[in-house]
Amino acid sequence: MTTDTLKNTATNEPMTATDYRPIERVIAPPRAHMVGDGFRVHGFLPATVGMQRMSPFLVMDYNSKWDVPAGTTPRGVGVHPHRGFETVTIAYKGRVAHHDSSGGGGVIGEGDVQWMTAASGVLHKEYHEEEFSKSGGIFQMVQLWVNLPAKDKMSTPKYQAITHARMAQHALPDNGGSMEVIAGNYQGTQGPATTFTPVHLYNARLNKGGKAELEFPAHYNTALLVIEGSIRVNGTEQVPTDHFVLMGNAPGKILLEATEQAVVLVLSGEPINEPIAAYGPFVMNTEADIRQAIEDFNQGKFGYLED
Amino acid sequence: MQGSGIHGDEFDRAAHLLRTAQFNKGDVLLETGSVCKDAFHVTKGLLRVATLDSDGNEHIVQFAPEGWFASDRGSMYFNEPSKLRIDAIEDSAVVLIGQDFFDALSSASEKFRSYNTTLLHNHIRHIQDRVALLLGARADERYQTFIRMYPDLLLRVPQKMIASYLGITPESLSRVRRELAERNFKGRAAKK
Repeated sequence: MTTDTLKNTATNEPMTATDYRPIERVIAPPRAHMVGDGFRVHGFLPATVGMQRMSPFLVMDYNSKWDVPAGTTPRGVGVHPHRGFETVTIAYKGRVAHHDSSGGGGVIGEGDVQWMTAASGVLHKEYHEEEFSKSGGIFQMVQLWVNLPAKDKMSTPKYQAITHARMAQHALPDNGGSMEVIAGNYQGTQGPATTFTPVHLYNARLNKGGKAELEFPAHYNTALLVIEGSIRVNGTEQVPTDHFVLMGNAPGKILLEATEQAVVLVLSGEPINEPIAAYGPFVMNTEADIRQAIEDFNQGKFGYLED
Repeated sequence: MQGSGIHGDEFDRAAHLLRTAQFNKGDVLLETGSVCKDAFHVTKGLLRVATLDSDGNEHIVQFAPEGWFASDRGSMYFNEPSKLRIDAIEDSAVVLIGQDFFDALSSASEKFRSYNTTLLHNHIRHIQDRVALLLGARADERYQTFIRMYPDLLLRVPQKMIASYLGITPESLSRVRRELAERNFKGRAAKK
């Protein structure tokens, strides 16, 4: 296909390379490491670009497709605290069970998203769901940490369980597939998740040859992760499976074209321009906040959860 | 030698005797029965000093996070087979300090001798406090002492290792932490 179907909205002329939002870097998956014994992840963020470059997205751990053998004891990560941000778990393959110190819990199944606002603090644990663990199978997930502005870091923890059925679907032209909106808005289609700062999070589910146009404010930090298949970005850049595309902060549309059936995670958000003090599972604004978080955790102020 | 009052040139003359090394999680720095040639000063990471009982159960004598020393003093100073085992429980960067370094600086510097004496008394105090705690303190008192001494280790070390260090069962440690949460968790009722 060609890219001349896209018009520059200002001039009504065919788009040229300079009209596209520039690609800053295409990043191959870093060497995977284990989180507990249940998650084999490529740490795209913050390892490759730092903690502020993709603000409000602080962490992106990508568990690329992993054939987990059947087991008797579910794999996972034991009890650990979080404070100061949100964790967003996007399940592509396999199922995860989770529990927390506020009494919440559930199963994140294929296609579902769990949006946990840790805020003032929770203890939680995440394991492969029991039946999945017994049968084994392909496991593929993304976990994002989304920062909270200072004024909301100590707000009350909460959950949003966003099942696949609840996600807003925006059909793409020419039977190109669907833009699944988790948070934010895609061309008038609003996603179900509520966020503390402006965040757009979509799954572009593209048929072979399918196209999607994206446009965000130039200062929003924006990236793509190719979950399945392969794509061409802005008419020229071929991006294979499991690769991360960091977009430059400049105006312009992004054109996605699926060179085979593809799933692409699209993330874009308004940066939170505040200092970051991070230590392990705590992301705050100052070292004093971090010391307080450690002290509160040690003294049981995050509650209690059996391992 | 921050805080030691040692002049730069005195330290520099002995500095060539220091070595640095990187260890991976799981690496053993000192095996029981061997002679401890170096004290280990942790720049980054975490070491565990432990002893094995006659049934093969491990008991943790000390954790050495950043800024701490770990060694078997009996083995290093008296040249005896080590009773302790030292291993890395995180990837660690360590400065290895042999007896020759201590000897060189001790003979060159009165200030170092005095500094080293203070360090030794500090170490003896630590050991005495620990013996007193293990003999005479409740589990919750041991836990509170632990988090004052090692504020971030609860985030870095599995519960069963902390229980081993405290000389209590993992179940007792869970009970202590659950009771703390019942008192201090303001959000919702603490949940089992």
